[in-house]
Amino acid sequence: MPTPPSGGLAAGLSTGEEAKPYTVTELANEIRRELRPLTALLLKGEVSGMKQGSKGHYSFVIRDSQSLINAFIYADDARRVTTLPEDGQVFIFRGRVDYWTQYGSLRFIVDQVEFDDVGKLRARLEELKRRLESEGAFAPERKRRLPFLPRSVAILTSPTGAVIHDLQETIWDRYPNMGIVVYPVQVQGAGAPMSVARALRRCNQERLADVIVLARGGGSFEEMYAFNTELVVRAILDSRLPVVTALGHTSDRTVADLVGDAECRTPTEAGARVVPKKADLLAGLHERQRRMEREINRRFSREADRLNRAQADIARLSPIRQLERRELAVRDLQRRMHAALNLRLSVAQATLTATGGRERIQRLLANRLADQARRLEGQRRRLVALSPDSVLTRGYSITRDAATGAILRSAAEARVDQGISIQLGSGKLAGRVEGVEA
Amino acid sequence: MSDAELTYEQAMGRLEETLKRMESDKLTLDEAVKAAEDAQRYFRICVQRLEEARKKIEVRAEPETTE
Repeated sequence: MPTPPSGGLAAGLSTGEEAKPYTVTELANEIRRELRPLTALLLKGEVSGMKQGSKGHYSFVIRDSQSLINAFIYADDARRVTTLPEDGQVFIFRGRVDYWTQYGSLRFIVDQVEFDDVGKLRARLEELKRRLESEGAFAPERKRRLPFLPRSVAILTSPTGAVIHDLQETIWDRYPNMGIVVYPVQVQGAGAPMSVARALRRCNQERLADVIVLARGGGSFEEMYAFNTELVVRAILDSRLPVVTALGHTSDRTVADLVGDAECRTPTEAGARVVPKKADLLAGLHERQRRMEREINRRFSREADRLNRAQADIARLSPIRQLERRELAVRDLQRRMHAALNLRLSVAQATLTATGGRERIQRLLANRLADQARRLEGQRRRLVALSPDSVLTRGYSITRDAATGAILRSAAEARVDQGISIQLGSGKLAGRVEGVEA
Repeated sequence: MSDAELTYEQAMGRLEETLKRMESDKLTLDEAVKAAEDAQRYFRICVQRLEEARKKIEVRAEPETTE
């Protein structure tokens, strides 16, 4: 390793012996080594020329009124820093000085960025708010209405942590088959504003959901800085889908909260805001179904009543009924007529009784009956005289064939030795034919 | 707007409006029958909309930047 030249430049060049020249690399490494103590430095300065590199790193210049130094943030550090430096802002940077030998340039390698003056930052924030206010960005009439029942909910948050879990749990507790589309975003650090803004734009392009929930679990003013950047605020304003913020319990509302369409604090609150309770909807629906059925039944029973009344009216007014009514009137007349006649008859009868006519009639009737009885007796006697028994008593007899019982009316009907039975006025004789004289 | 385009809320609004008309007793019988049909249709749309959401988590990772 060459020792640094001790003499003047001219002397060194002239002797050429006591000091061997550095190679470039040797010198570069030497410079690098010399700079090594300049580590974990705090450097305060204003940012300009901020550029993002393709690999996620940033390069910019930190300056004060007289000097400047090139600065660099590696991609890994850029993701960790609480805020990304913006041109024109003064920050306090933590980092080290490094000499890049291959470029021959000196850089301040930043690993942490802090706001130099939170008060000043707040002032800038107030300025942003005033500007947005004058544009009408906070006006209630500008806010988009949340869908009553989204088909799906887009969630923009850190893919890890309790927020995503709480949101999902709340949404599915309220609405078991609700679709959820997660857009993982960085919610803090230098990359956060761009990450959130890009995801908001994608939500609107892809249209997989009807409402967006932008959530994180709260944090300090610095940690929440992304939600106060104009980049994120403009992306929310440009969104056609309504945006619900759930940025945790913070001392200040962020500008994102102010321009969002609904402001919640916790994931649970946001979940309840974007999704109705399915059970409530079903209950309301069934209540209406009951009303509908009741109305249909009521209407039909009312029409049935009207029909029944009309039927009754038709019956009342029909000619048949009128005829029936007239017939009834005629029957009534008939009944009255009979009643009147009976009355007359009984009056006549009473008159008859009073004049003794009744006894005369009865006597007359009795005489007629006695006369009839006498005539009947005479006829009876004549009938008795004509009966065979009375003839037999006078000495005649009836001869019958003993076998058949047939009456023998002439001798020719008999034959010798035929068994015969002879009926007398009293009793019978049995005999046998001795001879026939026909 | 056709039935297919109705959201749950719109279908519910129409169901409620139809029910109010049915309850007002100002409809002719034909109108009442039509209203009852409409009410039933809106009711079915509401039920359908409640079931349409699909339980699914889809994670939309950021596409790789290709700068």
